Amino acid sequence: MNDYRLPNSIKIKIVKKFLTVISVLGILYIIPLIFGGELMAQVVVPEVSEETGGLFEGLRHFWEYTGFSNASFGNFIMIAVGLFFIFLAIRFHYEPLLLIPIGTGILLGNIPFPVGAGVGIYESGSVLNYLYFGVTQGIYPPLIFLGIGAMTDFSSLISNPRLMLLGAAAQIGVFGTFIGAIALGFEIHEAGAISIIGGADGPTAIFASAKLAPQLIGSIAIAAYSYMALVPVIQPPIMRLLISKKDRLIKMKPPRAVSKTEKILFPIIGLLLTTFISPSAIPLLGMLFFGNILKESGVTERLADTARTKMIDIVTILLGVTVGASTQASVFLTSSSIKIFALGAISFIIATAGGLIFAKVMNLFLSSGNKINPLIGAAGVSAVPDSARVVQQEGIKSDPSNHLLMHAMAPNVSGVIGSAVAAGIMISFLM
Amino acid sequence: MEETTTVVEWSQIWIITGVGYTVVFLALLMLMLLFKSMPQVLNLGLGRKIREAREKAAARKNGDLKEERYISGEVSAAIGLALTLYFKEQHDEESGIITIKRVARTYSPWSSKIYGVNNNPR
Repeated sequence: MNDYRLPNSIKIKIVKKFLTVISVLGILYIIPLIFGGELMAQVVVPEVSEETGGLFEGLRHFWEYTGFSNASFGNFIMIAVGLFFIFLAIRFHYEPLLLIPIGTGILLGNIPFPVGAGVGIYESGSVLNYLYFGVTQGIYPPLIFLGIGAMTDFSSLISNPRLMLLGAAAQIGVFGTFIGAIALGFEIHEAGAISIIGGADGPTAIFASAKLAPQLIGSIAIAAYSYMALVPVIQPPIMRLLISKKDRLIKMKPPRAVSKTEKILFPIIGLLLTTFISPSAIPLLGMLFFGNILKESGVTERLADTARTKMIDIVTILLGVTVGASTQASVFLTSSSIKIFALGAISFIIATAGGLIFAKVMNLFLSSGNKINPLIGAAGVSAVPDSARVVQQEGIKSDPSNHLLMHAMAPNVSGVIGSAVAAGIMISFLM
Repeated sequence: MEETTTVVEWSQIWIITGVGYTVVFLALLMLMLLFKSMPQVLNLGLGRKIREAREKAAARKNGDLKEERYISGEVSAAIGLALTLYFKEQHDEESGIITIKRVARTYSPWSSKIYGVNNNPR
């Protein structure tokens, strides 16, 4: 047994504490006696006056405030959609970095609440509303582009500049969708915003719709991102349909080594040229090439590193969750959203087909040693780097030794430039 | 009335589509043309130097020189590998196992200043 004794000083302290607590309790007990026993909780909180009635009133009040009382059927549909997005991301790894934030955002945006509670994304002053500001004002997309620029290696494009045209060809998806949207009865600005889904580039689509049709941002962003996530499902059948087995086996020359000077010159020349042609796309293209200058200059590695890791991650989180939350059922579940989804699917198909067919046409003009594998045309829709990955997988299916990834990255990144230029043109035409 | 507005809108839409697609193509076409000629532009000085050097060498050797001016990626990789192997040979191999040297000290008067100074493990 330990002979454990407290020192006298500590004993005295404990006794003092004990006495203090007793005396405070005593004072509290004496107060009602002094004031004639009238000072009770009911006096301080006069609302809860009647005993049973007050209880029910409070419970009813609470019930009215809960999500269960305010729920509509649409909320449950959207929550199911959000859960489905999260499922797709975890089970099939379809763009998890986007679908998890968006899916969770959909859940957040569709928890029912009484109007005026100050928590909804469309209620001014709420936290989500402040975060959503970056979407409605088109702040997040250029920041995402900065990160993309800082992580993109344009060398495959520089070594084979011809492939740039594939990125331009696939923009037929944008203009095809524009005509389709007008035909479906959308107003011209809305049609312009919807058409950018065909560029297969989430940030560009959000940027364009923030300028042209802010009321459709939610539907357009969700459509763009969901089809981007579904690129591995949408593209292969079209590729198999349009490209013959013989063409799929074409092996391309390995890309030449690209000098550092060329790599530095590319973003500078690209920036000047494309923004002079399409100034409305300055926020997007400017940031894209700025990020690439940070990367290629070789002297700002710290900045490039932050832009392509921490910064783009932060913006992706904010963008994903707010875009998801903007799909509040009352705003999102409309007939126009369904039309936008249909148009989005068609635009992806048109864009893929456009790239593939253009690659086949290009082959007609190329000498036998320089022929390109038409499969890489499908990577002309941006969706970096998923569509390039799909091309690689399809190429390997036909010939396991034919690696197309590096070649497909060229139309892929030029597709990003192309869709940003197309968005700029749309904005400048319609604003 | 409605018929005419629709017609007018459609003409505008076809113009936007046509002009827009052309401009996208044009932008990337210009970028492509620039970068197709970029190696030539960048190698203007270099090409001349190589030619001069080669001519001198040819004059000296008076043999048939059919070197390639362009070195492909595979060739540079092979040269790199050869150089690495060559330089690696000159370097003595180290064990690569790094451990903390165990120091046996039977007596440890931790507060003795003079002991700490004199018995540094080497």
